[in-house]
Amino acid sequence: MDAGTATSARRLARGITATWWYTASAIVFLELTLVLVTVAALAQTGAGPWAIGIVLAAGLLWWGATLVLLLQYRHRDDTAGTGPWRRIVLPLAIAVLYAVVGGVATGLWVVVGLAILQPLMLLNWPRGVRLRLVVAATVVLIGLWIVDQRTVTFDSVGQSSWWVLAMFAIMLPSMSVLSLWWWDVLITLDRARAAESRLGATQERLRVATDVHDLQGHHLQVIALQLELAERLMAKDSDAALEQIRLARTSVDEARQGTRDLALQFRSVPLRDEIANAVDLLRAAGTSAESSVDAAADAAPASVLGPVIRETTTNVLRHGGGSWARLSLTRAGDAWRYEISNDAAASTVESGDGSGLDGIARRAAEVGGTVEVDRGRSEFTVVVTVPEATR
Amino acid sequence: MIRVLVADDEAMIRSAIAALLSLEDDIEVVAECANGLEAVDEAVRLTPDICLLDLEMPGLDGVEVAERLSRLVATRCIVVTRHARPGVLRRALASGVSGFLPKSRGADEVAEVIRRVYAGARYVDPEVAADALSDERSPLTERELDVLRAGRRGETTGQIARALSLAPGTVRNHVSTVLGKLHVATRQQAVLLAEERGWI
Repeated sequence: MDAGTATSARRLARGITATWWYTASAIVFLELTLVLVTVAALAQTGAGPWAIGIVLAAGLLWWGATLVLLLQYRHRDDTAGTGPWRRIVLPLAIAVLYAVVGGVATGLWVVVGLAILQPLMLLNWPRGVRLRLVVAATVVLIGLWIVDQRTVTFDSVGQSSWWVLAMFAIMLPSMSVLSLWWWDVLITLDRARAAESRLGATQERLRVATDVHDLQGHHLQVIALQLELAERLMAKDSDAALEQIRLARTSVDEARQGTRDLALQFRSVPLRDEIANAVDLLRAAGTSAESSVDAAADAAPASVLGPVIRETTTNVLRHGGGSWARLSLTRAGDAWRYEISNDAAASTVESGDGSGLDGIARRAAEVGGTVEVDRGRSEFTVVVTVPEATR
Repeated sequence: MIRVLVADDEAMIRSAIAALLSLEDDIEVVAECANGLEAVDEAVRLTPDICLLDLEMPGLDGVEVAERLSRLVATRCIVVTRHARPGVLRRALASGVSGFLPKSRGADEVAEVIRRVYAGARYVDPEVAADALSDERSPLTERELDVLRAGRRGETTGQIARALSLAPGTVRNHVSTVLGKLHVATRQQAVLLAEERGWI
């Protein structure tokens, strides 16, 4: 995975986390408001400081318990159900506690109902169950409020506060469920995205497999024919048979090269990495190597300079490495200048087959660049300059 | 005569290479070995000029054999491989291997490399070097690689911490950074990935 996709994946993961907290905080905020409204309404109706304090404490405890359930919901799994009872029994027990305390203090059934029903909304119910539950919960809460209307006599001051409380209580389950549903949709989309990128990779792999199969199949068939011909010719015309065997060997080389090209097609590393790899290898070979690379090196023409870097590094490695080597890639005006130099000990061992250097010169000339080779007394330097515009 | 030891666990390839090399006038194959340990024993007994070692062998791999031999006998090692994984070249160069070849080279080319190495030169095949250079850089720091290395046989966090003289918490931090960088879920997977890429 390259740096770009890794960064965007990280950014996306952060975005998802932020969305989770946004969703969760909406629910948490509504719950806290509800607890505070309950306490405020109690205070308005003239409850004693002890009653207010106990209800507030129980309410905050209840709030914390729903928070725990909410956090468990985040990493939910469609198939897991409501999870092990050990993890939900304590929050639900706290909910019952608040229901009792709140119910006794306010004398309202709707407070009892909400305290127990709201935590149930936050459990990881199987598909479809939660919708039925939230409808049922809302109906129950409305029913409880109607019962409260009939049984409790409100004074004029408390009336509006209790109405606000009841409206909040009736709305809260459906609003919570809506938020969680929104979260589920988001997670499903995120999973689909991940699946899609995996699918892309798989398709790519299948395509490569097909290419390899075609290529190898073709060459194997050719080789089989050439060998068969050689077998037939052997007795009659051994020279011709030999020629077929040589051709078969060439076919093998072609097949191998083709397979290799196919594999390399998916490999491209930035020049900076290529030079860093070269330095690593030279150091492993006992050469003290250093490099300096222009910060904007990613803009340099990698298709030309990549093979040059490989070729020159191989040369240095092959000829014993020497005791030091220096690589640099710098911008010189509107051209890129790659220089590699090492000590003369290496160049003296050189067998004189300049084939590598010829290849480099040809590659550079194709894009209007130049190559200078300096076989000094104590050091051997190759400088390749290519114009910037080539890509 | 250049006395050569050939080690390869695939019998067909081993005998074909040995037969082809024996056809060269100046090369004599003195031993054929089927695994790394046998190669070490035979090399110590016979002191060949050149050891031609397959990289992928059971027991000890080609680079490990070369590493042991460098401390035991005066012989030069050439490692041959089918998958020239870049990290392996780095390891081979560091342990003093004199030649590195892909298996696809013909026996005549292998013979030529044997002569060059015998003459004191080092030979790194351009194809192998090109692979090594165009390899993805390891995103891990040296310390993180140390942690993976120390835990590659399934050691516990405590054991890794003791081996590297680090606090267990530090080791855990390194491990979680590694998992994040490599996008894998377990330390085991990280070790496998790093081994496959030749980082450790």
